[in-house]
Amino acid sequence: MTVVDPARPTLPGRTLAPGRRVWDGGVAPTRRARPRPSVAAADAVEVRAVGVGVRVSCPDPATRRLVRAHYECLLGDAVPARIEYAIRTDGRRWQLRRAGRPAASALDAGELLLQLDQDLLVQLQRVRADLFFVHAAALAIDDRAIMLVAPSGGGKSTMAWALAHHGMHYLSDELAPLELAPLSVQPYPRALTLKDAPPNPYPLPLDTIATSRGFHVPPSRFADVARAPTPLAAIVFLHRGAGVARPAVCRLTAAQAGARLYANALNALAHPNEGIDAALNVVRRTPCFALVTAELDATCAVLAVMFRAAPR
Amino acid sequence: ARAPTTRFRRRSDVRSRVVDGEAVVLDRRRQLVHQLNRTATHVWERCDGRHTIAELGGELAEAFDVDRVTASRDAAAILRQLEALGLVEADPEATTVQGE
Repeated sequence: MTVVDPARPTLPGRTLAPGRRVWDGGVAPTRRARPRPSVAAADAVEVRAVGVGVRVSCPDPATRRLVRAHYECLLGDAVPARIEYAIRTDGRRWQLRRAGRPAASALDAGELLLQLDQDLLVQLQRVRADLFFVHAAALAIDDRAIMLVAPSGGGKSTMAWALAHHGMHYLSDELAPLELAPLSVQPYPRALTLKDAPPNPYPLPLDTIATSRGFHVPPSRFADVARAPTPLAAIVFLHRGAGVARPAVCRLTAAQAGARLYANALNALAHPNEGIDAALNVVRRTPCFALVTAELDATCAVLAVMFRAAPR
Repeated sequence: ARAPTTRFRRRSDVRSRVVDGEAVVLDRRRQLVHQLNRTATHVWERCDGRHTIAELGGELAEAFDVDRVTASRDAAAILRQLEALGLVEADPEATTVQGE
């Protein structure tokens, strides 16, 4: 079934299984001519990410539902907001505002979430400069965290979704914030975002939200979501193996892993000596592997066995 | 090819660390991070403007239990790579080009 929202011609259609929810956008025209300078808490989504309070004011109910679904496992704790956003819509496009930056426009829900995610990521790095942020997905098993590191499009999110079907708990998707002492991964379980639908036997849940950016799996659809900092037990650097029949894993030396980790660090320069010591500090204390991926199910089976056997 | 008497220096703005005998080299100017194997790390650590290519070959032969001819060839090849990556610079006072 091809779903096309007639009210939003800019929203690309998505082919989905029957019954799957498609984000319909904040298409109801707003009656407000200009945004209010402040909004009541009821109009806002309150999030706590890596211990930082974030408030996103969204007077438009549909937009608020979208943002709440995206960050549903980060909602709740009442901490003073250190980062504040305002999202307004006129029914055709959204405007994302944060004090100190120019307003950004988004033509569809996927673009809006992307801009919010990206700016929030930068702000969290600014506020929590003590953490070492890595472009990685993270999962946990038996209170031990595993980081999957790869560049964009490297299959982190798909692998994370698949591994959740093998008994692993969801910690984060795009961003693994590392506490350096003690070495642990802070949870950042926002909606998992997949660029493409995963192959069987890892179907998307029915309430997956489809946008122009891909498929957003609400974190609550994972069997388990890790909500506390979890000691880091292993780092796996993913490499797509084109035409590879079987997945292959090899252990990396500290220097091999350090160079790879540094290349995927997001805020290395916030740390002394341009972050090189922080990256090496992490890999010296953690078993690191390179994994050439093959068919998803086979790759997951290898990883699941490997993680269960990882030293405690 | 560089003359055997050529001396190299590590670029001063490049940061490096050696961990378990292998170097991680951070080149912020080119936005690159490199990982060197043990042999290359041995050479890298001696790119201080004092060792010639010939001397580095001799040191490699001693350190890695390999014959001097092979070690000299490998040392020259490593230095060519490091120079091509812009991580080391030939000391201009000691640089000559063979055949000139």
